[in-house]
Amino acid sequence: MARRSVDGMLPLTPAVLHILLALADGDLHGYAIARRVDAATDGQVRMGPGTLYGSIQRMLDSALVEESTPRHREEGAERRRYYRLTPFGRRVLESELGRLAAVVDAARARQILPMPDPA
Amino acid sequence: MSDHPRPSRVARLVARCYPRELRAQYAEDIARFIDDQRHDPARGGTFRRLQLAALLSADAARSLTAALLRRRPPEPPAAARWAPPLPPPPSEPFMETLLQDIRFACRTFLRRPGFTAIALLTLCLGIGANSAIFTLVNAVLIRPLPFAHPEQLAVIWGMSGGQRQLLSIPDVEEMRARTRVFQEIGLMRTQSVNLTGTGEPDRLIGSFISAATLHLLGARQALGRLFTPDETALGHGQPVAVLSYQAWKSRFGGEPDVVGRTLVLNGRPHQVIGVASAGLLDSYQSDVWLPITSAPNPAWFTRPATTVWALGRMKPGFTPADGERDLGAIAADLARTYPVPGGNPTIAVVDLHESITGGSRFMLIVLFGAVGAVLLIVCVNIANLQLARATTRDREMSLRAALGAGRGRLIRQVLTESLLLSVIGGALGLLVGRWALGVLVASLPGGLPITTPLTLDATTVLFSIVVAVATGVFFGAPAAWHGARAGLQDALRGGAQTGSVRRIDARSVLVAAELALCIVLLASAGLFTRSLVALQRARTGFDPAHVLTAEFRLPSVKYDDSVKVINFMSTVLERLRAIPGVQSAALVDAVPLSGNFGSIAYVPEGEPRPAPADAPSAGINLVSDGYFRTLGIPLIAGRDVAPTDRLGTEPVIVVNQAFADRVWPGQPAVGHRVVLIGPPDITARVVGVVGTTTQMTLSETPLPQIFAPKLQAGGIFASIALRGMGDEGALTRGLQQAVWSVDRDQPVWKIRSLESLVERDLSPARFTVGLIGAFAALALLLGIVGVYGVMSFVVTQRTREVGIRMALGAEAGQVVRLIVRRGAAVVAVAVAIGVAGALAAGRCLESRLYQVGGADPVTMVAVPIVLAAAALAACWLPARRLARVNPAVTLRTE
Repeated sequence: MARRSVDGMLPLTPAVLHILLALADGDLHGYAIARRVDAATDGQVRMGPGTLYGSIQRMLDSALVEESTPRHREEGAERRRYYRLTPFGRRVLESELGRLAAVVDAARARQILPMPDPA
Repeated sequence: MSDHPRPSRVARLVARCYPRELRAQYAEDIARFIDDQRHDPARGGTFRRLQLAALLSADAARSLTAALLRRRPPEPPAAARWAPPLPPPPSEPFMETLLQDIRFACRTFLRRPGFTAIALLTLCLGIGANSAIFTLVNAVLIRPLPFAHPEQLAVIWGMSGGQRQLLSIPDVEEMRARTRVFQEIGLMRTQSVNLTGTGEPDRLIGSFISAATLHLLGARQALGRLFTPDETALGHGQPVAVLSYQAWKSRFGGEPDVVGRTLVLNGRPHQVIGVASAGLLDSYQSDVWLPITSAPNPAWFTRPATTVWALGRMKPGFTPADGERDLGAIAADLARTYPVPGGNPTIAVVDLHESITGGSRFMLIVLFGAVGAVLLIVCVNIANLQLARATTRDREMSLRAALGAGRGRLIRQVLTESLLLSVIGGALGLLVGRWALGVLVASLPGGLPITTPLTLDATTVLFSIVVAVATGVFFGAPAAWHGARAGLQDALRGGAQTGSVRRIDARSVLVAAELALCIVLLASAGLFTRSLVALQRARTGFDPAHVLTAEFRLPSVKYDDSVKVINFMSTVLERLRAIPGVQSAALVDAVPLSGNFGSIAYVPEGEPRPAPADAPSAGINLVSDGYFRTLGIPLIAGRDVAPTDRLGTEPVIVVNQAFADRVWPGQPAVGHRVVLIGPPDITARVVGVVGTTTQMTLSETPLPQIFAPKLQAGGIFASIALRGMGDEGALTRGLQQAVWSVDRDQPVWKIRSLESLVERDLSPARFTVGLIGAFAALALLLGIVGVYGVMSFVVTQRTREVGIRMALGAEAGQVVRLIVRRGAAVVAVAVAIGVAGALAAGRCLESRLYQVGGADPVTMVAVPIVLAAAALAACWLPARRLARVNPAVTLRTE
């Protein structure tokens, strides 16, 4: 698989962005990703299996994620595929978040969004 | 989360809906995902389940679309070209092949914009016209009346000599007391009511009723209350009134304080006690509801005056026939006690819905039939175009079959194309239908009984969808069948120009059917047109040009004796004649075509008095002097009614020619005496004979009529007839001022020209001719397009044959004849079937035609000639093209 430039991947589709975010904390299998995204967005983003696996297929093709072997696998248990971020995927995620942050900053500077409370 | 080793069957089935690219990698993951969702505790409950189903459907559809957009047709490996046919692939998911077919169909349509445009245009016209007419049919004939148990409601009429007539109030009261079939009977009579004391005197349409009537008609009060039974009971009646919702809004500004106000109606104060709610009541077009006891004339309440009709609700389980038997027995019993000259009426009980819609049922069914025939022609036309295309698509179909498409799959693909076309056509048709409905409503003749507003509602939309789908299947079927038959051999044999004779025959049959339908429609339109023309030329016996008419009714409270009434009448007559521009003016009870009519039983003096039931009757009309001159009715013998024929002088009458011919055939009528059977009987001398006129409709056979002097016979109701030159507005104002100068509280209404009455009588016929004519024209156009299409196709198919013929020395003329002869055979068959159909249709329509037979030879000869000429011209054009073929070029293309 040919290496691609980070910038060539941007901007990400919402589904891809949310999957990358969900995988940032650790390896997950398909349905767990969907639940994580659902919880993280308060149910705003609901992924069906088609959207999820369609996106994962494309993310595998462009090497943003890869299949991982689950740490503890019990005998006779179901076979589930787990996915994890590749280092390239993490870089793409970071640079996409940086891009979004810049957009948000620009919006704040024009007072379209309120300034955050000082922490 | 599920720990089952394998996903459930349901989940695996659902997973099959996903595109195969995704399934190749993730079939099991998707199924497991679905199972996880199903067993997720956060998604319990029916609502969540439904939400999940919706989410999955949307997700699958999105994935399919995405996959289709990405999919490219794979390059076939070179080896496939000579490989044996592949075994049929495992059955593909329905959704996927459907989308594939739709996508393919869209591409086909875009490649052939001409065909697509014609098909869509004709479909949307056909379906649109059907939707519009269906809306009418549904509103008038199908939709039940908005009542509880509408089938129990019935209208009660008297019947006499085959004509409906009113009943007497005492008879209705007797029936109400004695009936065993009806739970409740109400009575009703609608008549103009004078409203005074509010600025200019005005006229309201009043309905005199009993409390039961409002209850039966499902009335509710919007304000105040409705009548109590006591308030309308004979002997207890109160001067109270209920306003209709419309009158309250339009005449009283919708002010709530109208309740409690006093209105002077027919000269008597009435207290408004309520406003009725909007609804079916509005279709009676009454402004105000009054107790029957407020009737303008006390004579209403005694036999034999027939003054009301009745409305009843039957007990559950009884039919109108039961009601008719029950009331008929009571009426027969009453007839023995109170015999009426001219015979007591029998009783007719008619279902309320039928009584409202009966008159228009026939015309609506004819229109529905016509519009259905147009749609059928549209279908046949498109089926033909599709079939022509299917023949040229043989190679494509054979190739598909060779590549493993099953017969079912091929049929499905062709049907998908047809259905897509008809569904899009249907959607456009609904838009056309909405527009057409607006036009239709605007041009409806006033007579159509519609109780609810006409809109394209859910029923119509459903109807249109069903029609569109049926249409698609119907016109797609021949092509689909053809496509499925396309065999492997044809493809391998090559040569797209060889169409087999059998297939062309199927198409000729379709065209013949189409042309035959055209003839039926054209002939029907022709019959109606000839009938309308005859009606327009009908001899009315009077000259309607420059005649203005109006009506008024004096309040009997104020004009309580005959002298006052007659003084008013003669003074008004003088003032009317003084209006500038008026050439002549007269008073008359019943202006022709106004809907007013009276009849009376008579016996020529000296003849034995027949039993009351056997006495002959004739029309009776009260007229002032100058009436015949004003309407242009010729005086044939004797004299006109004179101003001196007044109350107290010798009773005289003028009769029309029809009366004179009936009673004294071959002798002069003037000088004879006639007994007009009362009570009281009056013996009158005939002083004049006038020309016969039509009274109720233009199409009637003019009836014998008696004219008695208005100033002699009296009566509080009269119409005005003015013949005058000049502006109608000025005449109208002059007429009103003339009446108001005698009594400033006296309203006059229905101020309209006699020509408008003639026009009103013609309008239903015009409406029918307009609509059926339009449908027939559309059918003719489609039929010609159909013939042209088929012949053009035949020509393309036979180019090579003709090329050879011409190379061997055939003349151009022979070639044209060859082709046209083929078309002529189709047209001849169509004419034979079409004329047979047209004769059958004519027999059904005969009762509605005026002076035109159902087998009218002019129509039955002219229509086939016109159609055959047009169809042969449509054959000749492509044939000419063929005759100009250059044989060398044609043969070289092989």
